[in-house]
Amino acid sequence: MTTNKINKIWTEIKSKYSIFLVLAVLFIICSLANENFLSYTNLTNISRQISVVTILAFGQTILIICGMLDLSSGSVLALAGVLSVSTYINTGSLLLAFIVAIIASVICNILNGLMVTKFKTPPFIATLAMMTMARGAALLYTNGQNIYQIGDYIKFGQGSTFGLPTPIVFMLVILAITWYILKHTIFGRSVYAIGGNEEAANASGISVDSIKMKAYIINGVFVGIAGVIFMSRVNGGMPNGAVGFEFHALTAAVIGGTSFTGGIGSAVGTLAGAFIVGFLDNIMVLTRVNSYLQQIIRGAIIALAVIYDIWAKSKRTKRKLRSVEADSKETAKNN
Amino acid sequence: MKKWLSVLLVVVLMMSVLVGCSKPAETKTEPKNEGPQVYRVAYIARAQADSFAAWLANAVKEEAEKYDNIVVDIFDGQANDSTQNALIENAITSKYDAIIIQPNNGEAQRPYAEKAVAAGIITITTNARIDGIEGASSVDADPYAQAAVNAVVAIDQIPQNANVVVLNGPPGNFHADARRVSWQKEFFEKRPDVKIVGEEIANWNKDEAMNYMETWVQANSKIDAIIAMNDNMAAGALEVVKGDARFANILAYGVDGTAEAVLLIKEGLMTSTSLQSAYELATNLLATSHKLLTGEETKIDMDIDCPLINIDNVDEFIEMHKRAGAIR
Repeated sequence: MTTNKINKIWTEIKSKYSIFLVLAVLFIICSLANENFLSYTNLTNISRQISVVTILAFGQTILIICGMLDLSSGSVLALAGVLSVSTYINTGSLLLAFIVAIIASVICNILNGLMVTKFKTPPFIATLAMMTMARGAALLYTNGQNIYQIGDYIKFGQGSTFGLPTPIVFMLVILAITWYILKHTIFGRSVYAIGGNEEAANASGISVDSIKMKAYIINGVFVGIAGVIFMSRVNGGMPNGAVGFEFHALTAAVIGGTSFTGGIGSAVGTLAGAFIVGFLDNIMVLTRVNSYLQQIIRGAIIALAVIYDIWAKSKRTKRKLRSVEADSKETAKNN
Repeated sequence: MKKWLSVLLVVVLMMSVLVGCSKPAETKTEPKNEGPQVYRVAYIARAQADSFAAWLANAVKEEAEKYDNIVVDIFDGQANDSTQNALIENAITSKYDAIIIQPNNGEAQRPYAEKAVAAGIITITTNARIDGIEGASSVDADPYAQAAVNAVVAIDQIPQNANVVVLNGPPGNFHADARRVSWQKEFFEKRPDVKIVGEEIANWNKDEAMNYMETWVQANSKIDAIIAMNDNMAAGALEVVKGDARFANILAYGVDGTAEAVLLIKEGLMTSTSLQSAYELATNLLATSHKLLTGEETKIDMDIDCPLINIDNVDEFIEMHKRAGAIR
């Protein structure tokens, strides 16, 4: 094998799997730093702790790849969650409570989608408006008070399914769905195409607005499910819960390699990003790192991820330009 | 379509401007010209998204209905200093007779509270008070005492050489800091045998407290007590260990006396809390406002009681929450 080929393979590995290398290295460091880290229960705890944010992050991943984002997911989660808890308390039906959460969240996301596609509002502004409205609606509905005594509703977030905590099962199922959507459907390919170059996607016959609406609807389903798990996990309907979760979800997606400029990202990468944050949070508490220092470290990780994203993207662009240049030279030579 | 939409928007805008100019806004707070004087009070809440602040705002609203001569307008500070300061300025401009401020960050609101006093408006600070404003009054609960009533009983309850975890509120918050100082002076300095095996800032939040507790139970097979600066965080930590035989005898302390906390005490899961009664704060806020507005008094500074709630007296507080509709 020539040096060139080895370099090419190494570049390929670096660009596609660097996030998993980082995750593996971090895992080893954490295991060495504290003997409790590697226990099955601790790893299960981390997975359960990241589950809600990761489910939100899968929705964000689809949206970001498509060139959009959702700043309202934490607030919509709270609204969907309290409506769901309230439905359960009033009807005793877990199924109905689950459906209500999804419907409420999907409606909010349809509104997000309409703002973005029909009124051409930048997603940042549209979802920022929804963030405020949904939180306000959750507070108005509950009069700002938590709902207690939620009975069997806790099964969603505190029960077990197939021997695993239920939130983890939900997270894995949604991971599989997101992976399938992005990798194996026309919708998924359209999402990448729109995020990569919206005008080109439009010119090639992709119905951009329809794909964007669908992306928000899928995000709505995920946020609704996350709302049910969150409220169940904290054993209460909390209208002021999940504050800032949209930013944690964005962090997981970006650290996982989803490019803020669109067109690039994967469900598995987002999961890896969420685990990187989860491992870091866990090890910092286990090793008793000062609370203020923890915030600095989290911030630094986000900054590094974004810097890496910009650097990798510019490198890819240069490589593409070089390859185009080489091709044109080759063509000129042949002519 | 777009053209028609634009025309419609312009028409609506013009009509709203005309309506706005031709007639002063009618609000329920407009003082009546005839009959006894009706006083307008602006209540600037810290944040309606903060469950205690929401409880207090609701209680103030309900209490105000008992007064024929006082009308209260509630404003949401959205946990934001500049929003809250702007609301105080607006209340001054609108010439309210009294302004009640529940500060987001006392020092940030101090100059604005002073402006209100300077404008001749009766100014009351509450939960937490802003100390030392000449001419202003205050109604509050003493955060040091709230933690101390728990700390004093914990001295005898927490076993020798115990491992404890501590959950703090947001740093810089007057109540969060004073409660932690109280635990330090009233408990930790008197019990050097007790070891803190985990201490984190959970920002009053139940879910953050849960995450920390889940990690702490991995690192420590023995945790004897949860010391939380509010009930929400204590409840979150207890959620993690409920049903775990290793922590069957764990003790847990909070502050606030929320509906959830009293239910946990009744179930034998939580040890004690101290009541920070929004109802009592509201009663005293309105009574204070009334006395100041009618000239019965010119300055009032008072603290409400912070009784200890434990298994012996919890039924009384469950009843209190039932009456308020917080417990079914």
